[in-house]
Amino acid sequence: MRIDIAKSPLRKGAGVLGLFLAVSFALWTPSAQAAQEDGTITVSVVERASGDNGQAKNPVAGVKIRVQGAAGSADGVTDAKGLAVLNVPQTGKYDVSFDVTSLPKGVAVSSDTKTTASIDFSVGVSVGTGKSLSFFVGSDTRATRGRWGLLPQTLVNGIKLSLILAICSIGLALIYGTTGLTNFAHSEIITMAAMVTFWFNQNGPRWPLLLAAPFGIAASALMGSAFELRVWRPLRRRSTSLTSMMIVSIGMAIGTRYVYLFFFGGRNRRFVQYVGDPEIDFGPVGITPRDLGIMIISAIVVVGFSIFLLRTRFGKAIRAVSDNSDLASATGINTDRIILLVWALGGGLAGIGGVMLGAATGVQWDMGNVILLLLFAAFTVGGLGNPFGALAGSFVIGMFTELWTWVFPNVVELKTLGALIALVVILLVRPEGLLGQKERVG
Amino acid sequence: MNWGLILSNSVYTAISANAIAYMLVATGLNVHFGYTGLLNFGQAGFAAIGAYSLSIPISRFNWPWPCAVLLVIVSAVALALLLGFTTLRLRADYLAIVTIAVAEIIRLSLNSVRFTWLTGGNDGLQGFTSFMEKLNPFPQQGIWLWKQKIDGYRLWLLVSGWVLLMVVATLVYLLMRSPWGRVLRSIREDEDAARSLGKNVFAYKLQSLMIGGAIGAIGGVWLVLDKQSSQPGDFATTFTFFSYTIIILGGVARVKGPVIGTMIFLFVIQFVDISLQQATKTTPSDPTPLLPTWLIDQNNYAQLRFMVAGFALAALVVFRPQGIFGDKREQAFDVH
Repeated sequence: MRIDIAKSPLRKGAGVLGLFLAVSFALWTPSAQAAQEDGTITVSVVERASGDNGQAKNPVAGVKIRVQGAAGSADGVTDAKGLAVLNVPQTGKYDVSFDVTSLPKGVAVSSDTKTTASIDFSVGVSVGTGKSLSFFVGSDTRATRGRWGLLPQTLVNGIKLSLILAICSIGLALIYGTTGLTNFAHSEIITMAAMVTFWFNQNGPRWPLLLAAPFGIAASALMGSAFELRVWRPLRRRSTSLTSMMIVSIGMAIGTRYVYLFFFGGRNRRFVQYVGDPEIDFGPVGITPRDLGIMIISAIVVVGFSIFLLRTRFGKAIRAVSDNSDLASATGINTDRIILLVWALGGGLAGIGGVMLGAATGVQWDMGNVILLLLFAAFTVGGLGNPFGALAGSFVIGMFTELWTWVFPNVVELKTLGALIALVVILLVRPEGLLGQKERVG
Repeated sequence: MNWGLILSNSVYTAISANAIAYMLVATGLNVHFGYTGLLNFGQAGFAAIGAYSLSIPISRFNWPWPCAVLLVIVSAVALALLLGFTTLRLRADYLAIVTIAVAEIIRLSLNSVRFTWLTGGNDGLQGFTSFMEKLNPFPQQGIWLWKQKIDGYRLWLLVSGWVLLMVVATLVYLLMRSPWGRVLRSIREDEDAARSLGKNVFAYKLQSLMIGGAIGAIGGVWLVLDKQSSQPGDFATTFTFFSYTIIILGGVARVKGPVIGTMIFLFVIQFVDISLQQATKTTPSDPTPLLPTWLIDQNNYAQLRFMVAGFALAALVVFRPQGIFGDKREQAFDVH
């Protein structure tokens, strides 16, 4: 077969690949960087007093802390916030302990209190040269909540997961609706945002997360648009079948994922901000400010995007192309432009989801791939190609995943299983999905 | 760079028992995707079921091996029936997603701490290969393939595996030339036309799923016999996707497609991997590796083969969908 290099998608594909490589290079940090630097250990001492809900936490001041390691030792006393910041000469292994006799009157050490802990700078999820840990004194009353007491917290976690899934899967559904493509590379678009944000947050200018995030989201939107312009549009022009395109997206996803692994490494890393914040109590549930932020922002994005789809001209055009591409084209809608818009918007939404996922569970090379199956489950359950179906599906799948941990607390590691079983069962009962249109099937 | 070792090791990888496992799994997938047009993305699930149907009875319950082999086939057929009755009523794109989901359900369950008593969890199961070692007629010291040593057990797996593969490939060839095989192809080309001729499309698809699934399960058996350990990590979705790469590389809907595809695929992957391993290696006498460490080092060279595999899959489908030896008329890509 003769391939005209100048016109072939190969050259364009090479452009996209080059873009990935350039961005990934930027993300790459030499792994030995942190070895010789000074480190700080932040220790907090908290009293778990039994408040209204058994969860109230009071900082304990004036507690003597001692850090000891091979490279040296340090001492400190907790301040009014219960915090003591200790500088250590090297980032190595340290044993941290607190002096029980220095606890103020009325604060007791219960049988389940740990008075020593060890810290190893080379392991764990938090990056850089700072480590933190907490000592809890007073008796732990959390376990007394019981099964039903845990339900509200489970529901809140379910809503959080559902919202993240919803943001990511709307794009998947719109792309399927307008082009018919089941995009397996959506997971890598999600990861892209988290990685670019991570670079701005940790390696590059070290901006706060909220300032870094827009760049990550923009990178995802760009990646989506680049995919459309350089790969999918040329393939559509050649009238490549949808199955072929699906397999192409699988290949791109696998290749890109290992590009991430190559440059980012296999570790799970955290953004600088919003790690280990204390929970805010709302009656029976405790939510960290980070998770609350994630939920509020996602809810706003989801509602806002729904209004965009239903009310604006572009939204109506997207739905028209989704319904019947030929008819939309005949009424004067530029379908190619709409599809490009869908890729940019879908990529941007996936990027928002990726940053939130990164804040919630850490940034990792395969973070997108881990939730890809849940996204597929969500958009399949909802009915392929319908963005509102994807919303509904996300809630079914997100709630199922978290409720599984509540119903079967001892098989938590199988929580994806609940969602997948839900997918199979729902499709058996309603093969066209929750909001899908009935179609004659084999 | 020790080119002799690199080449002989890559050649061995392309024909080893591990390669035979890939060939069998891809042959099974070829029956589904190539001949019948079923978009099965859960072939790794069949391989996993086959592998654990052998390893669990033997290492946990001391079954005699012929019973375990029988169980391999029975459970593959059972999974095919389960998948078929649940998903064959669905549209092709639903089928793809549900088969992935089922394969992942299988892998996650095998990986679960909850079932460690049965499956060994993440560490998997060992000690189920003694029957194969007892059957081994070759001396333990094995032979040398140029600079690559093949021990007696691996040689036995290699020889018996190739015989088995030939038998399976011949069976598939004969089946696909039979009237039954022609019906499968007509279903792939136009399902409605086949139905209008009075063929029971559902039953044919189900039979195709069972046969391809059983072949895939035998492939899974060979994979774990070669590794002498069955671990859930080997049956991730990438296994299925690499099988797709293999059958597209070798030519879809061709009996020799999976065999040739596997040989090329594994040769290239292994060649890239071991060359990079040599080029990034440092020894006490020679502390600077051949390739600069800012570009690639000992910790990340292993990822390059997966990048090659992934982008190769995409490029193949775009530029040469009929593969290297395939027939363009038999692409089978327009699955509805």
